[in-house]
Amino acid sequence: MPTEREFQVAPIVPESVMHNTKALSNLQSLTASIFGVAAGILGLESYSGFLFYFIFTILTTILFYTFRVAPTSLKSGLGAFDTSRYFRTQYEFWAGGVFGGLAGYILTWTLFYGLVRA
Amino acid sequence: MAQLPPQTIQRDPQLFYWILFPITVVMILTGILRHYATVLMASPPKKVEQPALKEQRSLMHGVAVRSNFHVLTAPSFKARREFLTTAFESGAYLKDPERRGQPPANPMTDPGAMDGMMGMMKNNMAMMVPNTLIMSWINTFFSGFVILKLPFPITIKFKSMLQAGVATKEMDPRWMSSISWYFLCYFGLQFVFNFLLGSDNDGAADAGNGPQAPNMFGPGVDADKQFQAEAENLAVIKHYSVLDDVEQRLLEGIKTR
Repeated sequence: MPTEREFQVAPIVPESVMHNTKALSNLQSLTASIFGVAAGILGLESYSGFLFYFIFTILTTILFYTFRVAPTSLKSGLGAFDTSRYFRTQYEFWAGGVFGGLAGYILTWTLFYGLVRA
Repeated sequence: MAQLPPQTIQRDPQLFYWILFPITVVMILTGILRHYATVLMASPPKKVEQPALKEQRSLMHGVAVRSNFHVLTAPSFKARREFLTTAFESGAYLKDPERRGQPPANPMTDPGAMDGMMGMMKNNMAMMVPNTLIMSWINTFFSGFVILKLPFPITIKFKSMLQAGVATKEMDPRWMSSISWYFLCYFGLQFVFNFLLGSDNDGAADAGNGPQAPNMFGPGVDADKQFQAEAENLAVIKHYSVLDDVEQRLLEGIKTR
């Protein structure tokens, strides 16, 4: 854990962290709605639908990590799956989007399930 | 336990065009309207009298010096601290120096306080009025229709909420009426507004009121006490600079490359 002194030597700009977080949450909410469309068309019900959502959201986050975060963050000496170069906490990066996009997912899932199947 | 066959209900495909589609479109358009109403109704920052502005800015100056002392050299920080502490303690920046030590005025009688409350009222109205209107619109025109089936099972307790206006005892609670589609839209349309309006929009109803300005200079706060506290905060800082030992850090950085 870096001390206050280290933060002052290498300050973190809150605006940039905000921008990163916002970009991630935008991506999550948009992809979540698209996964909802997919799940509805496939006719997934109850557990398999939620499982579909969680698997694909985590897959999206992993892809985001490999393409946008990993190239520069690995080069700067951080370990694999360490996002502290661009995001405040690990939890925010890996789990924040799962709950942010759930409402949109359920909306489109219900809509397309209702239109296609039921 | 015997497995019950899933209920099937023959629904008119026209339900989609006359109920589902209009509700969704109205919800989206209301979100857009709400966003632009909030943008248009945002009152421009009120002009502040010169002494009041001086009071605010000098206090912020103090805070800035306190939180960024590490980029100043020791003598220049000491000079700033000396100057600000004396000014703060003598009350040189106060809005009305003769009212020092008196209790603050009642916030309800201060005309400046009313503006903040009006802004909050306007925001709340922009949330409340469309929601009430749409709810009553749906209840008048679309109550009693079963339009969609949820893809996941839920308990019987949701039945009264989801099937409001559909008085059928035996129906599976997964079937939802038009009012529950309204609730789904209410919570789930954030991604549509992200598409249409950009990410920091006011379209979604549950997005909160956005970042609130810090109420540091609000009515009812004793500026003199704030100044005294700030002077104390400045006085106890133990100064160091980020440039201390910078040559060692540089050499270490070079060595590890």
